[in-house]
Amino acid sequence: MARQSNIVRIVGNDSYEKLRSTKCLLVGAGGIGSELLKDLILMEFGEIHIVDLDTIDLSNLNRQFLFRQRDIKQPKSTTAVKAVQHFNNSKLVPYQGNIMDSTQFPLHWFGQFDVIFNALDNLAARRYVNKMSQFLSTPLLESGTAGFDGYIQPIIPGKTECFDCTKKETPKTFPVCTIRSTPSQPIHCIVWAKNFLFNQLFNAETNPNLNEEDEEENKDWGTTDLDEINRIRQETNELQELQNIVVSQQENRIHEIIEKLFVHDINKLLLIENLWKTRTEPTPLDITNIQNVSDEPSKKLNLSEIWTINDQVQQLVHVTKKLMKRMPKEQNHIEFDKDDQDTLEFVATTANIRSHIFNIPIKSVFDIKQIAGNIIPAIATTNAIVAGLSSLISLRVLNLLKYAPIKSPTDLNMAFTAKASNLSTNRYLSNPKLAPSSCNCPVCSKVVRGVVSVSSTKYASLTLQNLVDLIKDKYEYTDEISVLDTKNQRLLADFDFDDLLNKTLNDINLTDGTVIMFTDEDEDENGLCHKPLELYLDITETLPTGLDIRLPELEIPLVKAITSEEATAEEEEELSVEKNLTEENIIVLDEEEPSTKKRKIELEDEQAAKKTKSEVEDVIELD
Amino acid sequence: MSSSEGKLTEDEIALYDRQIRLWGLAAQTNMRSAKVLLINIGSIGTEITKNIVLSGIGHFHIMDASKVSEEDLGSQFFLSCEDVGKYKIDAVRERIMDLNPRVELQFDIESVDSINEDFFKNFDLIIATELNREQMLKINQITRKFNIPLYLSGSNGLFSYIFVDLIEFKSEDEKLKSIKATETGYISTHREIVHVETRQDDEDPEKVFEKITTRNTYKHFGEMLLSPTLEKKLTKRQLKRVSNVLPMTLTLLSQNCSNLDEFKNETIKMCDRLTINPKSLSGDYLEQFYNQIGLEFSPVSAIIGGAIAQDVVNILGKRSSPLNNFIVFDGITLDMPIFEL
Ligand SMILES: [Zn+2]
Repeated sequence: MARQSNIVRIVGNDSYEKLRSTKCLLVGAGGIGSELLKDLILMEFGEIHIVDLDTIDLSNLNRQFLFRQRDIKQPKSTTAVKAVQHFNNSKLVPYQGNIMDSTQFPLHWFGQFDVIFNALDNLAARRYVNKMSQFLSTPLLESGTAGFDGYIQPIIPGKTECFDCTKKETPKTFPVCTIRSTPSQPIHCIVWAKNFLFNQLFNAETNPNLNEEDEEENKDWGTTDLDEINRIRQETNELQELQNIVVSQQENRIHEIIEKLFVHDINKLLLIENLWKTRTEPTPLDITNIQNVSDEPSKKLNLSEIWTINDQVQQLVHVTKKLMKRMPKEQNHIEFDKDDQDTLEFVATTANIRSHIFNIPIKSVFDIKQIAGNIIPAIATTNAIVAGLSSLISLRVLNLLKYAPIKSPTDLNMAFTAKASNLSTNRYLSNPKLAPSSCNCPVCSKVVRGVVSVSSTKYASLTLQNLVDLIKDKYEYTDEISVLDTKNQRLLADFDFDDLLNKTLNDINLTDGTVIMFTDEDEDENGLCHKPLELYLDITETLPTGLDIRLPELEIPLVKAITSEEATAEEEEELSVEKNLTEENIIVLDEEEPSTKKRKIELEDEQAAKKTKSEVEDVIELD
Repeated sequence: MSSSEGKLTEDEIALYDRQIRLWGLAAQTNMRSAKVLLINIGSIGTEITKNIVLSGIGHFHIMDASKVSEEDLGSQFFLSCEDVGKYKIDAVRERIMDLNPRVELQFDIESVDSINEDFFKNFDLIIATELNREQMLKINQITRKFNIPLYLSGSNGLFSYIFVDLIEFKSEDEKLKSIKATETGYISTHREIVHVETRQDDEDPEKVFEKITTRNTYKHFGEMLLSPTLEKKLTKRQLKRVSNVLPMTLTLLSQNCSNLDEFKNETIKMCDRLTINPKSLSGDYLEQFYNQIGLEFSPVSAIIGGAIAQDVVNILGKRSSPLNNFIVFDGITLDMPIFEL
């Protein structure tokens, strides 16, 4: 019996042959990626391309089983491929790079794959690959884990929900006054130390005055108390002086920094009586602690234990000195990095001293690292389970199981870890069927997508007018269409703007990978117009001979025209969301991995949702 | 070898960082003093080994008397084509040792049939895969005698099962208190809440947690096969939706069928004993299952091996609610229900 005998008996000879000629893209060679690579190889997929930007870190080794201590700092993709050689029977192609880099990975490169497996750890890349899969109509197997929680979701473009059909959690934000004046939880002090104090002291480019003015209008102060707002502004100005101490490396003045932050500023805060009517007053740091600080730390402190306030202050002085010495070598600009021990300990000790002042529990450096670094716990078992599910369901997505042919893509299942996530005691996994794509999804439902392929010779002479004419002709637009460059929302042409029409695409910076949006401006007698069309500009040498430009075969449905007022209202809404997200003064929790919490809630609602659905069906039947 | 007593070193904390953040230092320290035996390292055994060795268990002992076949290469990633014909233990040893040098490993070319039962006394927990019925009955008798937790498992192509016998196990779970307080008493035939304690969160006094102690009781393998029933355990609606994989797997474990028709008839009888409607059995499923009996398949092993290893790590370290007691997996629908049988 040969190595493939089991898989042949499971899927049959024909499907086995198809597997051998299937080309997969695996995005990510980390926790889920290592596991997926192993599964896909053992399932005898013909060709697997693996993309990962990262290098190997010590903290990966508890779960990324292809990597060893000796591989630390090596690229994940190439190391993973080397590590599987002894059991590999597939063609493997590793790439070290960012999947969102359209120069290294243009759309036509994505086009070579029959199926895409996402094994990513961040929202931006997940969204990007989702979009690529929508442009190319390539099935995508999406997956994610966080601790014991894991999920997989097959995405069949145009048929089932895409990654963006459900809203994802956005980073948590806090009002300015909670961070600067009235913290009540450890995280408030950690945010203060990391996002505010650390930057102000160790990044000479941070000019406190400028910073404040800029943000004035958008700022969520979280208070209307003018005294307090003025105090916060003044305090920031005074920090400039502290930054000078750091930049000029005056070690003998470190105690001034500590006094200012933990005594003077707290005393000033106490003067705003309004703040303390309903809250416990803070207690300024006992000054004797500061003067008794010796030069060297007296003992080796344990990072997973909670230190005394004396030890916190002593360690703060110690790491501040180290950071000061680093300043000139690093162009007076040090960034917080959870794996840079000096920056971590500075943030941990200052956060803890502030917590102590405000009667908030103190935490170990180990715990603060998790909060400040947004570390998501990760284990081998959840990753193994999720990768197993993802690779297994791909057989059905590719329709390779003869006993379980897919009649409709919505017969396919997604899966969640129900038991491990404490959502169920009688199911290890929950496996709801896929939902059809959501009609409100901006990615898969509100626009029609496709790829326009152009040879480079044709591209050199192609004007915007040429392109517009081709499109009008192909998709039967009656009259006016407007054209927009989606990467910067730049209007390229509409009924009263035709200046750019005679320029070549290259002239107006429509380069390879640009997504161009065409909107029908002319509604018919029934108030209908073409659904918006987004075309990905793909400059390629792979067109069949004799063809220098190819428009996608698309059916663009007619939809009710959106009035201009509605459009503006919608746009404004989108803008305000964006504004909230870029308000950099307070945001902290930039994600390491997306939370699966949102999905959990959906899971709990699953039964209810199903019920409603069947009730709706009943109503229709009665009708 | 690393010290198996006392506190974790800074190096160990750095290496196990991402999991310590999940189950805590105490659980990680507990795991380091545990001794686990794996009987047979096939496809599921390979996955279990990878997961448990990575987790930083103290002592892991692998026992297998088989030789590497060409077929094994299709589902066992510690093997390479040069290994065909060697004892499997000899083929996998180096690669497992390389996986995590901190774990104390032992390897035995030995069949479970030839071992003196006193040998098993050395272990805190035993996992056995790909055993036949007699072997499973025998090993469970021994684990009962010495009061050792046992996990059994096997694969049938796209389908698989896990049987758990922890004899009696007190688990501790913590959850946010809801409006209605948790009460003590039986919550299912195998689980009884024996104690509930509340605790206020030290950062957010609004949050109150309940620490719930549950007594889990188990049946031994023979007892489960003798009288499997779902009567009074599931609602009518749940009974209607029970996966076909349950009666098929139980039939396979308890009967010797020489052909598909016999297997079909026995499965129908099994449905009756379970109090589920045999009409829900699908002919396609029966045929497919029957054709895949005993086949190992990598992605299914990853899921089953992941679930077993996670539960093992859990009961050795953290002690939150364990699997109880029979789990089947359907690789077509990704259905994975848990039954108390
Ligand atoms: Zn969508």
